[in-house]
Amino acid sequence: MEILRNITRRKLRNSLTILGIVIGVLALTILGSMAENFNALLDGGVKYFSSSIQVGPPDGQSASLLPLSKLDELKKVDGVAAAFPTYGFSAKPGQVGAFTVGVPDTIVAVDPLENNWGNLRVTLAQGRQLVSTTTGEVVLGSTIAKEFGRHIGDRIDLPVRPPDAKPDFVNHTFTVVGILNTTRTAPDTFAYINIADGQTLLRDSLPAAISSAIDVSMITEGIDVYGAPGTSLSDLDRLADRINASVPGVKATKPSDIVNSFKQGGAFFTLITTVAAVVALVIGGLSVVNTMFMAVAERVREIGLKKAVGATTMNVMGEFLLESTLIGIVGGVVGYALGASITFTINALTPPGQATLFLVDLPITVFAIGFAIVLGAAAGVLPAWRAARLDPVTALRNE
Amino acid sequence: MADIKLEQLSKHYKRGGEVIRALDGVTLDITGAEFVAVVGRSGSGKTTMLDLMGLLLRPTSGRLLIDDVNTGELSDSERAHMRARKIGFVFQEYNLLASLNVIENVMLPLRYTKGVRDGRQRATELLERVDLTDRVKHRPGELSGGQQQRVAIARSMINRPSLILLDEPTGAVDTETAEQLVALLKRINRQEGVTIIVVTHDLDIAAQAGRVIRLKDGKVIADDAQVPAGAFASS
Repeated sequence: MEILRNITRRKLRNSLTILGIVIGVLALTILGSMAENFNALLDGGVKYFSSSIQVGPPDGQSASLLPLSKLDELKKVDGVAAAFPTYGFSAKPGQVGAFTVGVPDTIVAVDPLENNWGNLRVTLAQGRQLVSTTTGEVVLGSTIAKEFGRHIGDRIDLPVRPPDAKPDFVNHTFTVVGILNTTRTAPDTFAYINIADGQTLLRDSLPAAISSAIDVSMITEGIDVYGAPGTSLSDLDRLADRINASVPGVKATKPSDIVNSFKQGGAFFTLITTVAAVVALVIGGLSVVNTMFMAVAERVREIGLKKAVGATTMNVMGEFLLESTLIGIVGGVVGYALGASITFTINALTPPGQATLFLVDLPITVFAIGFAIVLGAAAGVLPAWRAARLDPVTALRNE
Repeated sequence: MADIKLEQLSKHYKRGGEVIRALDGVTLDITGAEFVAVVGRSGSGKTTMLDLMGLLLRPTSGRLLIDDVNTGELSDSERAHMRARKIGFVFQEYNLLASLNVIENVMLPLRYTKGVRDGRQRATELLERVDLTDRVKHRPGELSGGQQQRVAIARSMINRPSLILLDEPTGAVDTETAEQLVALLKRINRQEGVTIIVVTHDLDIAAQAGRVIRLKDGKVIADDAQVPAGAFASS
C-alpha cells in the first residue's frame, strides 16, 4: 500500500517513467508478435523440409517435369522408405494480389498417404481427407476456406478464373470435403486435390503442342522422398547424395540447404525482436533508474528512520526494488495490453484469405511482461543498493 | 527496562587532518527503569552518545552492553533486529512518514519485526494512551507539532521496547506542549517500566529526570542522581 502511495506521490514523474516502459513494451509486443508470426511460418517450412528430400528435374532442364517412372527408381535407392509425386499450381493465376506475408494460394496435388510421413502433419477441422480414387474433391486450408467462404459440401472452381482470362482458360469444379485446422504456415493457403486431378490440371497448364504429345498420367512435377521415420537431417543429406549418384535425370536437393535458408530467415526476425528489446531496455531502464535515484534522494530521512526502527539493509533494498518492479509491472501490462490490442485490431482488419501479420502467443506475452518486470527490478538495483547503504545517522539528520 | 553499560566508549571522527573526539572514553551504568536526561552544550557529544546507545553508530573504541549483550560483536543485521525489538526512538523533527496516516506510522516498526500479533490493536491502544484516537486516519501534515510528537512516542513503543531514546523531543513544540510530553514520558516510565534516556537542552525536562548526565567535550563531567533510580517505576 505504501509503495503504491509512493508511486502516486510523484504522479507526473512516475507516469512519464511508466510511459517510457509502455513505449518499449509496446514496440516489443508489436515487433515480437510480427517475428513470432514469421517464425511460425518458417518453422512450418523447417518441419516440412527437414523430413523429406525434394527431387526435381536436373539443373538446366527448363520444364519442371519428371517421368513418374523415376518414382520406382527412387524407391530402390538404399534408405528410401517412401516417395510421392507432387504437383503445384497457382490457385489464382494471373492475379496480382495485395501484399501478403504468407504463402500465396496454391493448389497442391498429393497422395493422401503422404501426410503420414512428414514432420508437418495437417489435421482436419471439419470433413474428411481426400480419397485417392475419387476425383473432383478438395480439402481446403483454413485461410483459403475463409477467403472463398467455402464450407463442407460447397463447390469451388479451381484455379480461379482471372478477370482477363483468355478464351482457352480452363478450370474445374471441386467439392469441398474437408477443411484443415490452422497451422499458421503453408497449408493454410493450400487447396489439396488428389493426384489424378493434379495431372488433369497439369495437362491444362501445358501448351497444347506439348500436352497433346505426352501422357500426363506418366508425368509428375516433383517427387517428395522420405527416409524411415526418425531419419536425421544429416542422414537425409547423405540419402540425397546417393540419389544424385544413382538415379540419372533427377536432382535431389539436400534438406539441410533448404532448412538453413529458412533458419536464416528466422534469425533475421529474431534480430528484430532483440533490437526492440534493446530499445525497450534503454528507454525504459534509464527512466526507471533516474526515477528511483530521485526517489532515494527525496526519501533519505525516511530511509534513516526505517533503519532506526529496525529495517535491515535488505529490508530497505527490498522496498525500493519492489517499487521499481511495480513500475515495471504497470508499464509492462499497459504496454502489452496496448500492443496486443493494436495487433488484434490489425489482424481483425486483414481481409479474409490474406495471412495475418501478427501472432500474439504465450511466449511473446510472457516475454513482454516478464521483460518489463525484470527491467523494473534490474533498473532498481543500483538506486535500492544506494538507499540501503545510507548511514542512518546521516540520513536521519539530512535536511 | 534495560541494562545499559558504557565502558570507555569513544567515537572519533576525522575531519581533514584533525581528529574530532565526539565521545571520549565514557563509562556509565544505566540500570532498571531510569529516566535519564543527558545535557550539555552543542557539540558536547550528547547526540553521538544517543546514536551509539541506539546502535545507529559503531564506537571507535570501548564497549556498549545492552542487557549483557556486547553490541560490538553484533552484525549490522543483528543490530537492526535489536533496535527493532528493544529500542524505541523519538526525534526532534518527529520523522513521521508523510505517505502514511497516523496509525500506519505507529505500526511502521512492526514491518521489521516478525511474529508480532495484534499490531493494529496495540497501535490503537497506544494512540488512546497518547490521546489521539480521533486522529487515527489523519496524515502527519494535518497534525500539530505536539500531536506529531505524540504519534512518534506511540510509534517508539509499538514493539514494547525496554529502552526509549529521545533526541530533543520538545525542541520543536511550545512550552505547554512540552510539559504535556514530559508528563506522558514520565507515565510511560512509571507504568511500563521502560528506561528513558532523553537528550535535551531544556533544563525544565532535565529537572524532572531521575538522573542527569552532563557532557562536555565528549566526556561526562557530572552524573547526578536527583531521584533514586527506578523511583518512577516503583511509585
